[in-house]
Amino acid sequence: MAVITQKQSDELLDPEFTTKLDQLELISRKIFVGKMRGERRSKRRGESVEFADYRNYVFGDDLRHLDWNIYARLDSLFIKLFLEEEDLLVTVLLDVSKSMDWGNPHKGLYARRVAAAIAYIGLANYDRVSLFAYSNGLRGELVGVRGRRLMFKAIEFLTNVPYAGPSHFELAAKQFAIRQPQRGIVLILSDFFDKGGYEQAMRYLVGRNYDLYTIQILSPEEIEPTLTGDVKLVDVEDDDTAEVTVSRALINRYKKNLQAYCGDFREYCTRRGVNYMFTSTEIPFDEVIMSYFRKRGLIR
Amino acid sequence: MNFLSPGTIAIAAALTVPPLVALYFLKLKREVHAVSSTMLWKRAVQDLHVNSPFQRLRSNLLLFLQLLLLCIAVVALGQPMCKTVETNESTYIIMIDQSASMNVLEADGKTRLERAKEQAKRTIEGMPDDGRAMVIAFCDRATVVSSFDTDKTALARKIDSIEPTQSSTALGEAMSLAEAYTQNIIIGTEETGGDIAPETTAPPASVFLFTDGRVADAELVSLQSFDVAKMTVQSVGTRADNVGIIAMDARRSYERPEILEVAATVQNFGPDPITFDAVLYVDGDNLDVQTVELPGAPRIDDETAGSPAPEVGGASDDASDAADTIQVIAFDPVEFSGGGVVEVALRTQDALDADNRAWTVVPSPRHVRVLLVTPGNLFLEKVLGTLPLDFETMTAAEYEAAPDEKLLDGQRSTFDVVIMDTHSTDRLPHGNYLFWGSVPLIDGVALGEEIKDEVIFNWDETHPVLRYVAAETISVNVWRRLIVPTETVSIIDGQTSPVLCYLARDASQFLISAFPLIAETDLGEPYMNTTWVTQVDFVVFMQNAIQFLSSNVATRGRKGVSPGDPITLPVPEGTKWINIRRPDNSVDRVPTAGYQTAHYARTRQVGVYRAEPGVAGDDVFTVNLFDPVESRVEPAKTLTIGSASVEAKSGTIEVNQPMWSYFLIAFLVVLMFEWVVYNKRVFV
Repeated sequence: MAVITQKQSDELLDPEFTTKLDQLELISRKIFVGKMRGERRSKRRGESVEFADYRNYVFGDDLRHLDWNIYARLDSLFIKLFLEEEDLLVTVLLDVSKSMDWGNPHKGLYARRVAAAIAYIGLANYDRVSLFAYSNGLRGELVGVRGRRLMFKAIEFLTNVPYAGPSHFELAAKQFAIRQPQRGIVLILSDFFDKGGYEQAMRYLVGRNYDLYTIQILSPEEIEPTLTGDVKLVDVEDDDTAEVTVSRALINRYKKNLQAYCGDFREYCTRRGVNYMFTSTEIPFDEVIMSYFRKRGLIR
Repeated sequence: MNFLSPGTIAIAAALTVPPLVALYFLKLKREVHAVSSTMLWKRAVQDLHVNSPFQRLRSNLLLFLQLLLLCIAVVALGQPMCKTVETNESTYIIMIDQSASMNVLEADGKTRLERAKEQAKRTIEGMPDDGRAMVIAFCDRATVVSSFDTDKTALARKIDSIEPTQSSTALGEAMSLAEAYTQNIIIGTEETGGDIAPETTAPPASVFLFTDGRVADAELVSLQSFDVAKMTVQSVGTRADNVGIIAMDARRSYERPEILEVAATVQNFGPDPITFDAVLYVDGDNLDVQTVELPGAPRIDDETAGSPAPEVGGASDDASDAADTIQVIAFDPVEFSGGGVVEVALRTQDALDADNRAWTVVPSPRHVRVLLVTPGNLFLEKVLGTLPLDFETMTAAEYEAAPDEKLLDGQRSTFDVVIMDTHSTDRLPHGNYLFWGSVPLIDGVALGEEIKDEVIFNWDETHPVLRYVAAETISVNVWRRLIVPTETVSIIDGQTSPVLCYLARDASQFLISAFPLIAETDLGEPYMNTTWVTQVDFVVFMQNAIQFLSSNVATRGRKGVSPGDPITLPVPEGTKWINIRRPDNSVDRVPTAGYQTAHYARTRQVGVYRAEPGVAGDDVFTVNLFDPVESRVEPAKTLTIGSASVEAKSGTIEVNQPMWSYFLIAFLVVLMFEWVVYNKRVFV
């Protein structure tokens, strides 16, 4: 087992920030059926102390759940139903394609920090946390860790997973949907610059009825390009080139296209009940966690 | 293909081609930039190229530059002209002064003629495309350098071919030529049914006169249809400093013909006082130097062209001031026993060189030739025999019967002095005559009745002929009354009639004595009419009289011709061609005419001309400027042509300048700028 160093840990989450994260918990707009008993209210009636409902006694019910007071008053047998408390499955899909290994501030590091923070909050609240890295397919995973003491595993995973290959979101989503049928919160951290498009991939994910959060991370250079003159642009993912003469008109056109692309993606997500968030790596990531995610109701 | 300014092409190519090539070499390689995805960039480029054509139009400097280039090219194709002169005429008459004063070297190192030619070519360039022009060069005569032509290149070439001369200026012939040509100007073209312009209207032509305004005959020009006020007189030149020789004389001493006396008249035409050396050369040897100091010439503000130099001794103050600027330089007499060329040169750096040197040909010394027409006079024959001269004797009958070849040299007498002893005649070729007891049969002169018993009453002892003569000792028995015109100068007076008088008429001089030396009695017996002939004074008188009468011949240098004047030279018998060696050492081959002569007219260069083979003594002639109008080089501000005055414009002539060359330059500049922008593409 690789030993996670304090430095690597601090790079993703500094101790001061983790203290703040301790106060937070992930919430889901949907209540999922968990595998294990947890700290969350479940749709299923269970054995928690929280009353849910009554029903008529039928043969075979546990006599311990009979409400004797009602029986005394009404002479009928009723069973007291309590809410079941289950754990929450929190999954982070981290884009590790080469396009994420770019930008200043670095997009990949930014995404890993967000992933680390989400993982920490989940682990701190005894949620089951899964981390998946993808580029052209799933590249690595850390599945089902629970409890704060396993945070080091998450850090280790996030630190060591390499940037590789072009982005193939569709394939990765397809593999993920097969790999994880269980519903839960799914955060996708990516720039969503996929030449194959995002629609099919999102279809796979939406079909699984996950509580989906798409977080699009772009660097300032992508939002406000500072290129001038005649340049040969090389795509870091597939070495595709584009010779352009950067003009004000071209810059304006690029920004409009970017706006349109992001707007289309947001609309696509909104229509399908997927939560969309856009962030620049210029915005401090803790602000994203503490403010943006709160506003969006992902954490409280 | 012809180019007016081939040098400009080379300069423009040198200035533009290398930078343009350099810009090609400087074309930047595209800088490689890594991006997270080219997806949006490609889409943006595609949008700009395909989907948004009008967005390309918006704030695209390159596009604007290319549009500007296109506009410049299109406008240049329209052959734009800078219209500074309002003229609708398409016919130009260019007249260029090529006289001596146009040789003045101006401050920019160009002569006035070169400036005038440049301005004339500018005028031709500014001519409308359908225009035509003729070019006339004039000095003492006018020459049609080019008749009406529409080819601007050919016209410019013709203008370039105008050579400088050292002649005087005569505008009249040029104006007459121009006027004659304009009578036949056709309005329109043959295709459009052109017709000759009506004579009643002013000629439909723009007339340009390029001169420094020093035109001697400007006021004498008479014009019929030209409106002088509409002429454009372009004055060229600014310099005024000039000193020139305006006259020169060389003569031999009467007593000692080997002694040569040379004098030259110089005048300062410039505004500043000047001191210079005048050098005398005889056959190339420097024999004397005189230092001359002359005050500056007074400025006359309202001067007009063509006005001659003020006369010496004029009444006005200006004239007297001007007279101070004239000085006669008398060189020390030099001994020169041969014939040759005498030159006076002024050592000064002034505006005009042509008038700084003057030449004259001095013949070999010879004795005065005298013809004595007498029935026989011992005294005269004895006296003439003792004097240093050559004389012949004829009787009156022989004189009258003598062939013209014997007595005439052209219009002049072949003898320096003719003495008519008691023979009145009307056969008087131009010459110098001494009549004893007879008179020339010319208007106003006649002999009257006999006068006796009168005495010599008065005499002019200052007259040259009475030098060292004691007139009071003259005793005459009888003389005749002299009827002479009023302009006659009486030298010795009787009580009622002059006894000896002097009359100059046409080109002849007459000394007329009212008494004969030998008279006849009623019986026809000769007797001595005066005892004077036996005295020494008579010998002195005869020497004085012959020297006085012959003072302008034989002992003087031969006058040359003015620049441009033709000359007739005698040639040896049997000669068909002679070579004229010009002052610049070039040689003209001239055919001889009849009567053993050759005519030569290319004399527009001052200096010494030599004929080979030539007749000894007549094989050398000189051409001198001697023209105060030309020497006065200061450009005139106003030119009076005929009765009208026209203001002379100075500076560069205003013409309708073709602008296509400027558009071409602008095109090249914008093109280079566009190329720079294209390579930068920063602010588009």
